[in-house]
Amino acid sequence: MEKTLICIRCPIGCTLTYKDGIITGNKCKRGIEYGLEEVTNPKRIITSTVKTTNKEMPRLSVKTNISIPKGLMFKIMKEINKVIVSSSKEIGDVIISNILNTGANLIATQNLSY
Amino acid sequence: MYDFVVIGSGIVGSFAAWELSKYQLKVALLEKESDLANGQTIANSGIIHSGHDPKEDTLKARLCVRGNELYRKYQEELSIPLRKTGAFVVAHDEDDLETLNSLKKRAHYNGVKEAFILSKEEALQEEPNLRDDLVGVLSLPTTMVTFPWEVCFNLLENASANGLEVFLNNEVINIKKVDNYYLIKTNETEFKTKGIINAAGVFSDEVAKMIETDLPFHIIPKRGEYFVLDHSVDGYLKRVLYPLPSKKSKGVLLTPQTHGNILVGPNAEVISDKTDVSTTQEGLNFVKNEAMKQAKNIPFDANIRTFAGVRASSNYEDFYLKESLSNPKVYHLGGVDSPGLTAAPAIAEYLIKMIAGKYPLIKKTNYQKFIKKSKPFKELTTKEKSELINRKPLHGNIICKCEMVTEQEIIASINSPVGSDTIKGIKKRTRAGAGVCQGGYCESLVLKIIAREKHKKMTEINYYEKGTPILKKETKE
Amino acid sequence: MKKDLVVIGGGAAGMMAAISASNVDVLLVERDNKLGGILNICVHNGFGLQYFKEELTGPEFASRLESELKETNVEVMLETSVIEIKKNGERFLVVITSKEGLKEVDAKAVILTSGSYERTAGGIALVGKRLNGIHTAGSAQRYLNSDGYLVGKDVFILGSGDIGLIMARRMTLEGAKVHGVAEIMPAPNGLTRNIVQCLDDFNIPLYLSHTVTNVVGDKNVEKVVISEVDINFNPIKGTEKEFNVDTLLLSVGLIPEINLLDDFKMALNKTKSASVNQNYQTSIEGLFVAGNALHIHDLVDYVVLEAKKASQCALAFLREADKKEREERKIISGTNIGYTVPNLVDYNNLEDSFEVYFRTAKKAERAKIVIKQDDKVIKEVKKRYVQPAEMNKVILKAEELIKNREITILMEVL
Repeated sequence: MEKTLICIRCPIGCTLTYKDGIITGNKCKRGIEYGLEEVTNPKRIITSTVKTTNKEMPRLSVKTNISIPKGLMFKIMKEINKVIVSSSKEIGDVIISNILNTGANLIATQNLSY
Repeated sequence: MYDFVVIGSGIVGSFAAWELSKYQLKVALLEKESDLANGQTIANSGIIHSGHDPKEDTLKARLCVRGNELYRKYQEELSIPLRKTGAFVVAHDEDDLETLNSLKKRAHYNGVKEAFILSKEEALQEEPNLRDDLVGVLSLPTTMVTFPWEVCFNLLENASANGLEVFLNNEVINIKKVDNYYLIKTNETEFKTKGIINAAGVFSDEVAKMIETDLPFHIIPKRGEYFVLDHSVDGYLKRVLYPLPSKKSKGVLLTPQTHGNILVGPNAEVISDKTDVSTTQEGLNFVKNEAMKQAKNIPFDANIRTFAGVRASSNYEDFYLKESLSNPKVYHLGGVDSPGLTAAPAIAEYLIKMIAGKYPLIKKTNYQKFIKKSKPFKELTTKEKSELINRKPLHGNIICKCEMVTEQEIIASINSPVGSDTIKGIKKRTRAGAGVCQGGYCESLVLKIIAREKHKKMTEINYYEKGTPILKKETKE
Repeated sequence: MKKDLVVIGGGAAGMMAAISASNVDVLLVERDNKLGGILNICVHNGFGLQYFKEELTGPEFASRLESELKETNVEVMLETSVIEIKKNGERFLVVITSKEGLKEVDAKAVILTSGSYERTAGGIALVGKRLNGIHTAGSAQRYLNSDGYLVGKDVFILGSGDIGLIMARRMTLEGAKVHGVAEIMPAPNGLTRNIVQCLDDFNIPLYLSHTVTNVVGDKNVEKVVISEVDINFNPIKGTEKEFNVDTLLLSVGLIPEINLLDDFKMALNKTKSASVNQNYQTSIEGLFVAGNALHIHDLVDYVVLEAKKASQCALAFLREADKKEREERKIISGTNIGYTVPNLVDYNNLEDSFEVYFRTAKKAERAKIVIKQDDKVIKEVKKRYVQPAEMNKVILKAEELIKNREITILMEVL
């Protein structure tokens, strides 16, 4: 399999080529790391909001604390959409633990006080 | 059974309904759109002309000059915003100086009190942003600028307090003569009335066709496009600048507005679809290029909006203001394009004269004067603002930062008898969202206030017409 | 009420300006019911890498500054608007309003950190009817992230700046379909990371060298038409592409929000904000501007550093000790330079060195930034990978400069 992609680790944005498990086109080591992962097991941090019962703040911003497999994005959004927060939260509080068994927690990135 | 039904809530219909509300008559006003004053009245330059332009001995000339007088007369009584700008008609060619002179003569003939020629130097002293290649100007100090739909709101608020019934979302689809009255069918309901005032603007010929076999005029819709420059450019021009149509160009106007903005435009394009208020690349480019022939350093980078309006020009060439020949008590106010805004109070006066000439009109004894509007919060002194906030704390909550509109003002315009529950309706009434950020900051705040005041869901608040919700869907349902 | 310093706007710049000046009597005024400004609605990552050495979301970044602010004696007024700044002899009267009433705050110095607003449909003279369904990307962002509503279900986006790209992802994740993004320039405007993670990840097509040439519908947006443009950005006939959408989002740039300066009738800089010297001071003594209200930044980290510097300059102004009458000269944007901030240098109140932020007018892999005075080359700085979308800076030392002469900054492509 051959694939072309742009490295996003620094502003240069090297055009990388992945072929038979090897990355070429990189100007530094980080390009190889990025390229390999992005082709074989792309991951993303999900940032979103969850619903709350708070009239002043009907949404609370959240993120996954580590990146999760890109292919699970929409499934994870489904889980996120099921949440209804009804108590005070601080930045870092776990909203969903080990979401879809990825090992990632969904944590609050905003403070909410009732 | 109504005595009169007025069709159209533009400036002509509003003045007509207002005049009628002074008499012992049962009057209804039908407006096909979801808000008042939505046709030509919302899309023009706002100029109260002096009367230099209409041909001698026409109704346009006579009623323009009379209208100019009446706006001054009613200014205080109806809280009419008037900016007494004056105007220059600018000549760029030596050949045009003669035209300028004939316009001056015409102005005097039509009854314009002040009209005089100024030299290039004098003109540039007064208006330094004029182009240096001008040769002379005709100065028309009696020219003014108003804020047309605000005038309509005040007129209809006063008329409503005196019994006028206003029906929005009622488009007239059929008019039938039945014995000694008329049956008007709209998309919503029916109205029985003894008399009809057709003030339907671009649709006045279509309304006339519903009841006349011989149509005395037909509308030639002309679209005009504009740029709106933010009020931070206030001071760039003192006066309205009229072009002098010459061999070189038709020309466009530059018009300082009552709120400090400057309008640049319009062009004039005959179109087939009367409702097509789109702006076009060609139209806007034309306006820009023509404007640059009039003035220099036009601050186009302060442009905050473009819009277009469709004028009710007609083949009749003058205002068509007549009682129907075959249908008594049906009055057509047709072909009212420029100077329609200026002439509107005089058209209403003329209408009353027409009616009173044949039918008895008895003044109301318990007529209620208009409850004068206080100045907008923005225009008060610091002391007045402070006192007002102490009396009504929600004036301390500034919702629209660009135009300094308070929460109290927005609440008042939602709940007023000629109020609105739409984003654009509130913008028309309070200026919230009319500034440089065009509602980028305040729209969500206005939406929440409307939802709260009207006990509606956020997804039920419309941008303007029925069926234009701003918010399509709540997430995570 | 009397204060040494009033800071107008409690976003990133305002909070840092207040924190940095907290040893004098400071009032921070914010119109919203919380501090943070637009950071509060930027739920995505990418903030703080430079300043906190950590990748944070917008709200987290705001919260860090808020915690720092809480430790100081700065007086904070929320849900309070500034409606006017009046000059009062050598001081200012800052007129503020809230439900509690109107106050005129007597201040010696003012820092304006009021942020920016988005360029609108009118600002780009978008043609067509003014239908329901045309929004700026930021206002759609607020409805979505703060209130929890989608402004549309089928979306087209004009502008490949970061806000537009971020919204492409957000709307998609929350259930809308984004049909495409059009960008009038031949290259995308936003970070490559966002092209990958906001467009490529969701197969959203990017149409470069395209712009919206018509918006069609009865009362609501029903169709958006885009066309390819030539090198003069004029639409090419016959290249029209149509998209059946109910929403057009505009991500066509930010403009400094400086309407409080209107009454001072200042000449504006190329950044559409007030001209300032290296002390972030405007032509009005004691009136400073920083953050997006001065020029639009790419990274909030630099906003914070700039606000810190401006605040220190305000403190120096308040100290008055060594204040000398100004001797200002222009800093001119020469060839290939879009703008510089500052665009004036005050030689009489000059520290050892100062930073000049700039944006180049075009892209270059290898470039030389040349600083000239009186046609003499004062300094050259080599830079790699410069582009208009990325703010840059040079440091000028007082000892290198010819006193009281204009400075020109230009870029040569190597």
